[in-house]
Amino acid sequence: MIPRRDFLGASALAAASWVGACTTDAAPRGRVPVSLWFSYGGTNREVLEGLVRRFNARQSQDYVQAVYQGDYFEGLAKLRTAIAAGCAPTLSHVVGEVVPYLAEAQVLERLAAYPGVREPDVIPELGQERSWLGGGARPLVALPFNRSTPIAYLNADLFAEAGLSAPRTWTELRAAAQRLTQPNTRFGFGCPINWWFWVALVGQAGGRVVAENGRISLGNEAGVEALSLWQDLVKRGFMKPPPGRDYNAWEQCNQDFLSGRAAMIWSSTAFLKYLEQHANFRVLAAPLPAFRQRAVPTGGTFWVVLRAAQAEHKAAATRFLRFMLEPEQVIEWSSRTGYIPVTRGAVNELTRRGYYVAHPNDAVALEQLSVADPWPWSVDLFRLQREIVQPRLESAVIEGRDARVVLTEARRLAAEPA
Amino acid sequence: MKRRALLVLVALVWLFPYLWMGLTSLKPLDEIIHAPTALLPQHPTLDAYREVLGTLPLARYFLNTSVMALSIAALQIALALPAGYALAKLRFRGKRWAFALIVSTLLIPAQVRFVPVFSMLAGAHLVNTLSGLILPFGVSALGTFMIRQALTNVPDSQIEAARIDGASELYIIYRLLAPLLTPTLVALFLFSFISHWNDYFWPLVLTTDEHARTLPLAIALLREQGTGVRWHIVMAGNVILSLPALAVFAAAQRHLLRAVTLRGFGG
Amino acid sequence: MKPSRRTDPYWMLLPTLLFLFVFFLYPLGMLIKQSFFSWDLLTDARYVGLGNYRALLRSGELWHTFVTTLSMSSAVVLGSMAAGLGLALLLDRPGRWAAFIRGAVFSAYVVSWVSVALLFLWLLDADSGILSGIWRALCGGRAPNWLGDPKLAPWAVAGVSVWKITGYALVIFLSGLQDVPASVLEAAELDGASPVARFRNVTWPLLRPTTLFVATTSLIASFQLFDVVRVMTQGGPVRSTTVFVYAVYEQLFLDLRVGRASAEAVVFFLVLLALTGAQFLLFRSSEAA
Repeated sequence: MIPRRDFLGASALAAASWVGACTTDAAPRGRVPVSLWFSYGGTNREVLEGLVRRFNARQSQDYVQAVYQGDYFEGLAKLRTAIAAGCAPTLSHVVGEVVPYLAEAQVLERLAAYPGVREPDVIPELGQERSWLGGGARPLVALPFNRSTPIAYLNADLFAEAGLSAPRTWTELRAAAQRLTQPNTRFGFGCPINWWFWVALVGQAGGRVVAENGRISLGNEAGVEALSLWQDLVKRGFMKPPPGRDYNAWEQCNQDFLSGRAAMIWSSTAFLKYLEQHANFRVLAAPLPAFRQRAVPTGGTFWVVLRAAQAEHKAAATRFLRFMLEPEQVIEWSSRTGYIPVTRGAVNELTRRGYYVAHPNDAVALEQLSVADPWPWSVDLFRLQREIVQPRLESAVIEGRDARVVLTEARRLAAEPA
Repeated sequence: MKRRALLVLVALVWLFPYLWMGLTSLKPLDEIIHAPTALLPQHPTLDAYREVLGTLPLARYFLNTSVMALSIAALQIALALPAGYALAKLRFRGKRWAFALIVSTLLIPAQVRFVPVFSMLAGAHLVNTLSGLILPFGVSALGTFMIRQALTNVPDSQIEAARIDGASELYIIYRLLAPLLTPTLVALFLFSFISHWNDYFWPLVLTTDEHARTLPLAIALLREQGTGVRWHIVMAGNVILSLPALAVFAAAQRHLLRAVTLRGFGG
Repeated sequence: MKPSRRTDPYWMLLPTLLFLFVFFLYPLGMLIKQSFFSWDLLTDARYVGLGNYRALLRSGELWHTFVTTLSMSSAVVLGSMAAGLGLALLLDRPGRWAAFIRGAVFSAYVVSWVSVALLFLWLLDADSGILSGIWRALCGGRAPNWLGDPKLAPWAVAGVSVWKITGYALVIFLSGLQDVPASVLEAAELDGASPVARFRNVTWPLLRPTTLFVATTSLIASFQLFDVVRVMTQGGPVRSTTVFVYAVYEQLFLDLRVGRASAEAVVFFLVLLALTGAQFLLFRSSEAA
């Protein structure tokens, strides 16, 4: 019944081949291969793959191969595992929060010495220089790729109907959320219960997650105020806490907005084009409101070159990065996705073409850079985010635990050694 | 009448999800967003399948998954036969120890072993290779145990007769005894093949790119972040993932049922 | 039998034992060793003694994971057994329809966990899911947030698992029912026993070993739930579906804490060992009875 010899043959074959090679080098002969791991789906993926194809077609020295790795967290897990297993790619992009950890673990290549990589033209708030406190004084390891800030998306039809304009303060936010809520059919406000938006709120309340001296304060009183705003809106039924963790919650939030179940959401500028294209109402982007002050964190990812890669591959990777930072690519990437253009050259070119007059929504995130808070250069930032703060934010908003208690608990855990 | 209504309900509970998967995969994105619970697609389209087939190296995933599952199933049986034979039929020092050792490893599931096995394979540069996917499952303690049980029912006289005819032990194991155990082996093979074809955990841990990525992993990755949930795409991928399993099921239901009950009662 | 050559049994067992040593026993030893270190795979490991275990205990994580796993597994086992037994009684008869439905239920057991998880993620979507649509049509108002409410999510995930593995219980119960002699049932029927009484007094006692078997095997299997959690909830919301294997996975791959992951895996192993021991004892006593 079973052809035994076939099995034995198959297993011998499997044992003999597919051994050893970590990553595939399917680069054409004579070209330097650059393996690139990325974490986007949908349009972002299409645009990135298009740019990679363009790079590969325009020159014959290097060849970039892009491999999808799941969402940021999954991709990051894979990246760290692969580094540990000696299987890392040449190039990848990672969220800003994890760059200090990777840099201090000495796994990132220092980029300054490569020709043309110095970042004269990068917008400082989006580059290493001002994305982290003191980032400019450290060896250059990260170049900006898809950078964003949180922004508010408004269902302009509903806002017009109610005679409301975009909320500029927390008070106006509360009022608008209440006015636009219709029990059982629509929430006035939606926002993923996520660290990033909480950090924005903490900044608006005048706090910092990590104090200047490096102590993890979680904003102290401002942290509590930030969390209480959400708790209050959820408790009164004006805000929907979307289900799911990580990016599931973000997508759910987008769906709520598109389907009219939420009149206003906070999300990343990254979703601008997607929301504009799929909404059957007018979408208005607006800056986040202020409480004691205006503030937003920046988000998105940075390119990093892995130190363990072969020297030749690393040099090729930096040539690709140089290409990606040329205005043509930066403009294509940002205008098709909603991310912020990362170089001054690209912004100037877009302004000259009248792009921002024609697409005022695109200018919102860019304008918010004037109030962007840098991240602390802290190796624990990533753990602080994922292990300590994020689950407690969910617990406070969804289960109604006391804001002060959960944040005190988080501060205590953060003070313990890793 | 009440019984019939109950039967219909049961059928609905277990079949409707598949139907919904198929229907969703035929809807265009706008219908997913604006009329997600409409039963039938207004404008049915195969775009989702086109996108899945166009963007994923499905052939590669298929090959990886098949080679992995076939190799594991084959290796397990090939190694379990001589071991089961020695344990069932031969007298030797240390037999009880060997048997106890094999049975005791039944208690160590992959989910407990994976941390050190991962670092070990990383040290051997086998992360993200098919060998790394196959080797940790090369031996099945359960399979060895079941083959041993089945072999105890084969009379010694048959083996002695073969020995008198000058048959080597290898010949006896693979040519004489294996055919006698066909039903057990088929059941073991199918069971091992299907569970590894479906496996998500170990490929998730061990693979880092297309090189060794398997189908369940790739389909789960279709839930891409960044552009909203594109359920028609995910469901199209899911149809592609589950159809082979359902086809194998339809073709070999009898053997599979046997495999489950056999495994259940330890032979 | 005497081996033809004295060395024969040893080379026959060698590959198997070698594999078991390399991929089972040695890793178990390593696991225990690693659980005393703090290591992130990238920088040097540091000996911390029982620090990992203490941290797990003190943060309440271990206890929380254990309770979550135990309650979800119990729900899965009870649910799938009740459904499996009910369906077995309903479908234990000849005929094409019964065979078709048996096949339909069992097919879910053959399809991968990933398929099932993705499918139900969509079916259970709080707003766009068809189940919520049906709920709104029947009950009005807002449908429960199946996977987003920490009070509901563990049971929703358990329910999906029940859907998936009821086929297993069904098949085993069906084969168990073959051991219930028709003559006894007929005799009881002639004595005027109602169907319920026949089940309680004849079928059920004879099914006891089968029941015990299904219960213990599916309990141990459901303690290893992972795929469905990984795909559907990533352990959330608010860690409400963080079962053992997911917790270990998260510690290792998302947080890169090898030591703490190992410590948690060691505890998991001990729990499994205890469950298996309990299974063994139960069987012994049921065989003796």
